[in-house]
Amino acid sequence: MTALLELRDVVKHFPVRDALGRRAGAVHAVDGVSLSVAEGEVLAIVGESGCGKSTLGRVMLRLIEPDSGSVRFAGEDLASLSPSALRTRRRDMQIIFQDPFGSLDPRMTVAQAIAEPLRLHRLVPRAEEASRVAELLRRVGLRPESAGRWPHEFSGGQRQRIAIARALASNPRLIIGDEPVSALDVSVQAQVINLLRDLIRDLRLTFVLVSHDLGVVRHVADRVAVMYLGRIVEEGPAEEVLGAPRHPYTRALVAAMPGAQTKTPPLDGDVPSPIAPPSGCRFHTRCAFAAERCRTETPRLEGVGHAVACHFAESLPPPAERIAALGGGERLARLQAFFRGQAPSPTGMGDHA
Amino acid sequence: MSTPVLDVSGLSLGFRQDGRMLGILDGISFRAEAGKTLAIVGESGCGKSVASLAIMGLLPENAEVSGNARLMGRDLLGMSAEERRALRGAEMAMIFQEPMTSLNPAFTAGEQVAEALRLHQRLDRDAAFKAAIAMLEKVRIPDAARRARQYPHQLSGGMRQRVMIAIALACRPKLLIADEPTTALDVTVQAQILGLLDDLKRETGTAVILITHDLGVVADHADDVVVMYAGRVAEQARAADLFARPEHPYTVGLLGAAPAAGVRGERLASIEGTVPDLRAPPPGCRFAPRCPFAIARCAEGAPPLTEVAPGHFSACLRAPLDGMLGVAA
Repeated sequence: MTALLELRDVVKHFPVRDALGRRAGAVHAVDGVSLSVAEGEVLAIVGESGCGKSTLGRVMLRLIEPDSGSVRFAGEDLASLSPSALRTRRRDMQIIFQDPFGSLDPRMTVAQAIAEPLRLHRLVPRAEEASRVAELLRRVGLRPESAGRWPHEFSGGQRQRIAIARALASNPRLIIGDEPVSALDVSVQAQVINLLRDLIRDLRLTFVLVSHDLGVVRHVADRVAVMYLGRIVEEGPAEEVLGAPRHPYTRALVAAMPGAQTKTPPLDGDVPSPIAPPSGCRFHTRCAFAAERCRTETPRLEGVGHAVACHFAESLPPPAERIAALGGGERLARLQAFFRGQAPSPTGMGDHA
Repeated sequence: MSTPVLDVSGLSLGFRQDGRMLGILDGISFRAEAGKTLAIVGESGCGKSVASLAIMGLLPENAEVSGNARLMGRDLLGMSAEERRALRGAEMAMIFQEPMTSLNPAFTAGEQVAEALRLHQRLDRDAAFKAAIAMLEKVRIPDAARRARQYPHQLSGGMRQRVMIAIALACRPKLLIADEPTTALDVTVQAQILGLLDDLKRETGTAVILITHDLGVVADHADDVVVMYAGRVAEQARAADLFARPEHPYTVGLLGAAPAAGVRGERLASIEGTVPDLRAPPPGCRFAPRCPFAIARCAEGAPPLTEVAPGHFSACLRAPLDGMLGVAA
């Protein structure tokens, strides 16, 4: 597989100013991240608030300019592109945001919102616009008749479907989803996760999922990169990183997943400020295994396929076993099969949530 | 069985709007017992938060409530606003999702805990502040004496929620209602806060009602569970029983939709359609339009909450659900 997207040593700091406007430091949002995403792959970037995952997602599309490092898309350095060439490139890269209420213009009908990128990139003749919009709506599980309606007439899940249709309009190769289902109720979230998976498979999309929810990640991602205070601490195949995590931070994240029912004690304290991140390994202030070396020396992300940035990755005790409380048994699986196999019952609107 | 701390029965609630009544809760019943956690779980709009506001007496003017809610045997719904205010803080307390909006930005953490103590325990200013520092230590705020002198904006989200818990528990209430207390927090901090609530409940014997949308949280922290759907109780059981043998199709669907469950790489067993519009709820069982097990009779009347196994109740005509699988129950 060739890399569609390649990041090398990307750094992005945001200046912090004091009350007089003087520079008083910087938020180390992304601090030396290298990553590659293969064509057709789903990569999840996970971590807690302030770890830099959203900034990294925006850097990938050059919605945020990195301070240093390179971002290559399909072999082309995005920083070297002229504004007009970048605009053309953007056709291939789209983003879906968390808040389906904030990401649609309330003064545009659904058809206008979806047709906007078609017009911007002059992708279809005007005469074919309506049929393309209808096709996109069907694709995301909405009725073509929704085209003339306004965003406020839709539920959160339906709006997120509209935002997905808009992102798909330009036939992108890469989509970044920044917490795309975090604002949705569980049952609606499951519908949108299923939809995203279908679209990724059917349209052979490359997808970068930015998420704090390991449950969602587990269902969607092929590979996972775990971030802590601007750096990647572990990266590898999803089933390995989530099933047999090697970095102490990843272990704590997996153990803290609700429903995991591990007996691992939760991490102490809060994430330190990204304005003054700890020296050496940034996790050492909360790590049960930290030694002197961790305070002084920054561990490199090492390993082929499954990489870990921990001085003691080879010598840590095995993680506590997890008991899946929600997975519950054959009876539940057979009952749930009825939900999976069933055609949607008619509801008031006839649309998906 | 001991007398429950809180006994709610047949609680119904609606809001008057433009001369019409919008029904939110339709006859819900549950009990919270000392030293135990009752989880009320459901999706947005199911009425789980509004039920707790009704118990606390924090509803807006246009609400109409009927039914029964007794705290240690005292009728909450019949008492005057003054009587209820005296109970709030002293006998029952509540914490909310967003601690930043619940704390007063103009007072230090210590002052706010001390205020709760002074209101209900007649302590003088110095004694109250000392007791406040002790409370902050109890909710495991490191360096409590220094933190007590800081303002909410100087504290992290997890720290603020600890301060809220300290305020809520300052007067040793019999009942603590926690409404999505960790939804705004990071997952490692969430684990700390929920673990803290578990410990405090064991130490003080407080009855905890944990309102949440997250079945994983329920599995880890609840003794008993009430699953709500569209203003009614769908299922009620001990937590272990609910996860081992869910007996309402909505619970089965919710469990299938939780991304933490299920087989990786398989489609989630999502529930199709949307939650009904409470202005025009479907007749009969409100889940029927989305239920793969629904039969014609489900639309005929609200199915009663029926005991399908000892201590395990389901409001489904088709429960026990083993019948759906063609095996003996």
